[in-house]
Amino acid sequence: MDDIQEILEDFLVEAFELIEQLDQDLVELENTPEDLELLNSIFRVAHTIKGSSSFLSFDILTKLTHHMEDVLNKARKGELKLTEDVMDVVLESIDMMKSLLNCIRDNGDDTSIGMDLADIITRLEAVSEGKDIPDSVEEEIEEETQVEEPEEEASEADYAKMSDDEVEAEIERLLSEKKAEAKKKRAAKEAKETEKSSPAPAPTPVPSAKPTKAAPPAKKQTSTLEQTIRVEVSRLDHLMNLIGELVLGKNRLLKIYDDVEERYEGEKFLEELNQVVSAISLVTTDLQIAVMKTRMLPIAKVFNKFPRMVRDLSRELGKGIELKISGEETELDKSIVEEIGDPLVHIIRNSCDHGVEDGEVREQWGKSKTGLIELKAYNEGNSIVIEITDDGKGLDADLLRSKAIERGMISEQEADSMSDKEAFALIFKPAFSMAAKVTNVSGRGVGMDVVKTNIEKLNGIIEIDSEIGKGTAIKMKIPLTLAIIQALLVGSQEEYYAIPLASVSETVRISLDEIYTVEGRNVLRLRDEVLSLVRLSDIFGVKQVYEPGEHTYVVVIGLAESKLGLIVDTLVGQEETVIKSMGDYLQGISGIAGATIRGDGGVTLIVDIASLMNMAKGLKINIRESMQTKNKTKTNPEDYTVLIVDDSKMDRTIMKKSMEPIGIKTIEASNGQEALNMLKSGEHDIDVMLIDIEMPRMDGYTLASEIRKYSRYKNLPLIAVTSRTSKADRLRGVESGMTEYITKPYSPEYLENVVRKNTKLTAE
Amino acid sequence: MADKLNQILQKQQKQIHEPDHADENIIQLVGFIIGDEEYAIPILNIVEIIKPIEFTRVPSVPEYVLGVFNIRGSVIPLIDLRRKFNLTPMNNTGDTRYIVMKGEDNTAGFVIDRLTEAIRIKSDRIDPAPESVGGDKGMIYGIGKREDSMLTILKVESLLKRDF
Repeated sequence: MDDIQEILEDFLVEAFELIEQLDQDLVELENTPEDLELLNSIFRVAHTIKGSSSFLSFDILTKLTHHMEDVLNKARKGELKLTEDVMDVVLESIDMMKSLLNCIRDNGDDTSIGMDLADIITRLEAVSEGKDIPDSVEEEIEEETQVEEPEEEASEADYAKMSDDEVEAEIERLLSEKKAEAKKKRAAKEAKETEKSSPAPAPTPVPSAKPTKAAPPAKKQTSTLEQTIRVEVSRLDHLMNLIGELVLGKNRLLKIYDDVEERYEGEKFLEELNQVVSAISLVTTDLQIAVMKTRMLPIAKVFNKFPRMVRDLSRELGKGIELKISGEETELDKSIVEEIGDPLVHIIRNSCDHGVEDGEVREQWGKSKTGLIELKAYNEGNSIVIEITDDGKGLDADLLRSKAIERGMISEQEADSMSDKEAFALIFKPAFSMAAKVTNVSGRGVGMDVVKTNIEKLNGIIEIDSEIGKGTAIKMKIPLTLAIIQALLVGSQEEYYAIPLASVSETVRISLDEIYTVEGRNVLRLRDEVLSLVRLSDIFGVKQVYEPGEHTYVVVIGLAESKLGLIVDTLVGQEETVIKSMGDYLQGISGIAGATIRGDGGVTLIVDIASLMNMAKGLKINIRESMQTKNKTKTNPEDYTVLIVDDSKMDRTIMKKSMEPIGIKTIEASNGQEALNMLKSGEHDIDVMLIDIEMPRMDGYTLASEIRKYSRYKNLPLIAVTSRTSKADRLRGVESGMTEYITKPYSPEYLENVVRKNTKLTAE
Repeated sequence: MADKLNQILQKQQKQIHEPDHADENIIQLVGFIIGDEEYAIPILNIVEIIKPIEFTRVPSVPEYVLGVFNIRGSVIPLIDLRRKFNLTPMNNTGDTRYIVMKGEDNTAGFVIDRLTEAIRIKSDRIDPAPESVGGDKGMIYGIGKREDSMLTILKVESLLKRDF
């Protein structure tokens, strides 16, 4: 490991953390200019960065921070009033500081971007002298050479929380200590300069930004040193992968235990096994949560930049806007924190630009002059919810509709049948903008499209609610983590699929009569919403072997702003799934996000909700009709098939003879295994089975219980025809899933009647 | 009995010693049957050969991709070579095997009718694929000439290449 590089990275990580806090504190300060405590803490941050950078010989950075410090120092001593104009200059200088730090991170020095400080320094000086601020001059390029010599931040002390003297002392101590250390290291090692981007900052608590109430951070004077280690993200990723394997192993173990429990019921060792299995399962779950937590960052990381952004926007747009943030301590996976930033920026910009009205307009409406935007985050189950609410003018559904028609995005008919919610969702369409003109802030029709794509990528759901004159609320629901997901297992015909639970909003059982067809679309009326329906088996082209019943299940899935009802044949249950790639060969199959390994070692495909929804659009199948015509095909006795399973040829012939009066088709199998294979092959559409009990290879009981394992044969009539007459045998027959139990000898008429009854074929 | 044993032992001995002087131009292959033809692939490309196990169908892929299956925690595709070679599909028999092959960046399982044997063949006994059949997306590496039969040697990389 390269020592100097490491020290430099540490410096950068801390500097970025401090700057983030600085940004926040400054905006807060603008609202409460008299808060001395806040001023002091801001001053200390600037001072710390100056100290470190001067030690590291980042001259440009030092010069800049030095002048900032001057201004802040005067403000602290009450010699200078912090007006908005002063703040603009200070904030601008912080922006420059950020680009310098970025430059240091990328290039290892602060000269590569060639920033000219002359202009900003003149203005900072002017500010600190209390003069008028000269107009900004175009920034020019200047070169300076630097020697890189980083300082290490050994202690994680939160400087902002220390008193002045403590800070001074701490800096003194660090400086002398590091100087000696750096010298020693230089002598000992030859540093090779490998460029690496700095690791993500470790979560250090930042004082919360509450622009209105501005709780002075003085209360936290008793600084608790946080014990942290910085770890490379790739190591955590690796750990997460290993946990994934472990979760699969656990699922497998649970499944095996279930099987064993069934087979060795009442045995003593079962209890011991049970203890071990549950202990392992518990520990695995805990371990998984623990590892997930190490990857979690507070959403404050993203939220922190918004007070500043909203402040700048409100200055730019000339509107008074206040931002209220809550729940910034809510944590979520690092990879998601990275993705969520952009969408939020776009939504908040939109709220500022389109949502909140001008001061005068607001007063006319009887609202307070300052607009309010609320940014809220909280946990809900396995998801995190982020809400952005403004009290602006709201979305006009009719206007949205007419605009969309104007742009040829929807037809008038479509517009008429659109609910208000669907109309709101129009704002997510690419190149759709409600702004009359393109401004600096928005109006290009790109932003909300970005929101949609990013949230889709995260398997999130977006909901919009709006009322004209009252405001707009956008609610985003995002799964906590991406690697291990909770999934709903569903069965479609013979196959099973896993649907990410985060995308499932509910499941309902409906009867076929509830499905309506509107303009070639299958829809279901669900409470006050109309939901499009598709069969999962149609999307994936699964063979239709299973006879549809009167009822069916609908899984309502939601993604970003749209919803869809998926018709499945069975709901299996919830399972933890680890997404596995299917390799290059099967990369990018539409509708499939990946695969996971089931408890029994089989593979289940995980559906990709976004592409599934796209595929569903192209489908034009009348579900109700196709489900019903299937029922109609069987009217004549010759459409029915009975499978006779008996090892004796004579018995089979007798049964066959008894079937003749009905006119039903018969096929034969000589043992259970053969019968099962015939059934599974799907070659014959079997309606009734006559099963002997005593047979070689697989007996009747086993056959019946095997058949009942398949959900599509749950209702297949199984009739035991046997010479075993004892009550215990009959009971066993019922247990194994037999529908009827006929004892030999029997009259042909009796058998005929039983078969008629079970196929609902009545004698003419 | 003892004679036979000796013969086998001698044969094995010979096999062990033979590579020493014919090392560089002997290629080791595994032969298998699909339809009526015998094919072979280099032994080094084979990860393992297993009996048929359960697989999961994958939607929107060509018919010859039967699905995916789990082999010790990895999910890999299963390709039916009968269908891939445009032969009539057949149900699995007791001889059916999955050959798991590994290429540079892909691994997949292939369904074959039955295995024949491990084959050692001198590289000068392998002719390049005739032009007329070479057009078949270049799936053939060459034709191996044996005393009494011909052997089609397949190119593993092109078998593992996605062509849809």
